Amino acid sequence: MNVEDRWTRFEELDAGRVLGDLDAAELAEWQELSRDFGSDDALDQLAAEVEAVLILEKPLVLPPAVAARLKREFAPAPATNTASKIVIGPWIGWAVAACLLGLLVVNSFFSSQPSTPEKRLSVLVEKAADAKRLPFAPASDSYAGAKGEVVWSDSRQEGYMTLSNIPANDPTKRQYQLWIVDPARDEIPVDGGVFDIPAGASSVVIPIDAKLAVRSPAAFVITLEQPGGVVKSKQEVVVALAKS
Amino acid sequence: MDACIEAHGGLVWSIVLKRVRDRSAAEDLTQEIFTEIWKTSGRYDPLIASESGFVAMIARRRAIDWSRKQQRLPEMESLPEKADFPAPVETPGLAMDRDSLWKALESLPDETRRLFTLHFEQGLTHSEIAESTGLPLGSVKTRLRRGLLEARALLGRLGDRLNLNPESRS
Repeated sequence: MNVEDRWTRFEELDAGRVLGDLDAAELAEWQELSRDFGSDDALDQLAAEVEAVLILEKPLVLPPAVAARLKREFAPAPATNTASKIVIGPWIGWAVAACLLGLLVVNSFFSSQPSTPEKRLSVLVEKAADAKRLPFAPASDSYAGAKGEVVWSDSRQEGYMTLSNIPANDPTKRQYQLWIVDPARDEIPVDGGVFDIPAGASSVVIPIDAKLAVRSPAAFVITLEQPGGVVKSKQEVVVALAKS
Repeated sequence: MDACIEAHGGLVWSIVLKRVRDRSAAEDLTQEIFTEIWKTSGRYDPLIASESGFVAMIARRRAIDWSRKQQRLPEMESLPEKADFPAPVETPGLAMDRDSLWKALESLPDETRRLFTLHFEQGLTHSEIAESTGLPLGSVKTRLRRGLLEARALLGRLGDRLNLNPESRS
């Protein structure tokens, strides 16, 4: 392979490195070639700028509980002697803060987060002024008894389904999956997460796990899919539907 | 850091959640990313990258490393540490860069733009993109790689001030 071919190969592998798709053999090849051609952050930077530009068109909202947790963790530590900080080294302040904040996290996170979906649903209904409730209706004769409702808050990007009379599934064979139809966002429904209905449950509360930001949901659709869910549903088995 | 979390929390969360589809792991990784931002922010140079680009680069690397760990693949090197994150500021000239970037993206072939949207915006894996588009997995991988290189070449031709021209590498 001449120098030009090696450079071309290096560039392709470097792009793969930035995209995170190198397998072990390619990574070893990239490492070898990078010894000759060098490596910098330029392509990483381009990929990051592209991703930021595309995401910032429709970014997700950092959940308030997560933002609050982060802010607590990075809150300034209690005043300390500056001189001793310099002598010991700049990292020590961080280390101490990390330890203190680690304790804070454990305490505050577990004490402030309602522990069950039922409780978190109650909190959402109580605190989210924009929480909308939509009833589920059966979508096929096989699920004629399906009942329930969905509660969703656009501002908090949080929601829950309360479901009853939906047959229990065997997670090793099939799993239920929620789809959120948001025409304002895209024609492709947003994956709302895979879930199971346990045997013997009369009514269950399922947290919605929207993989992308949802702005103005027009409908919530439950389908039955292969274990782990699918990227795009063929809608072969549609269980229930909630429309706004 | 509060201002940083306010300004970039949504961006980091978007980058993380679409790759790490486990909420609890995503929360932990978001915390790690902000820690790394805090530690490496001294490297931030507004003449080289936008602030959101700098944050996105750290978040992307962390999220990709997390994915590689799950697949038991070797991880990439991380950035050197240096603390003191600057307060978010409006940096003159960044709007022009963003315009150049949009121009470059709009100049890409339709199929590449579609793949970019699926990969960068929606965070689909290559396998998921292959399933969604019907393209062979190898083609998805190759076209995304070449698309990124093509975007860099287009930016170079547009005279963007980002140092993305391979010939300028020293």
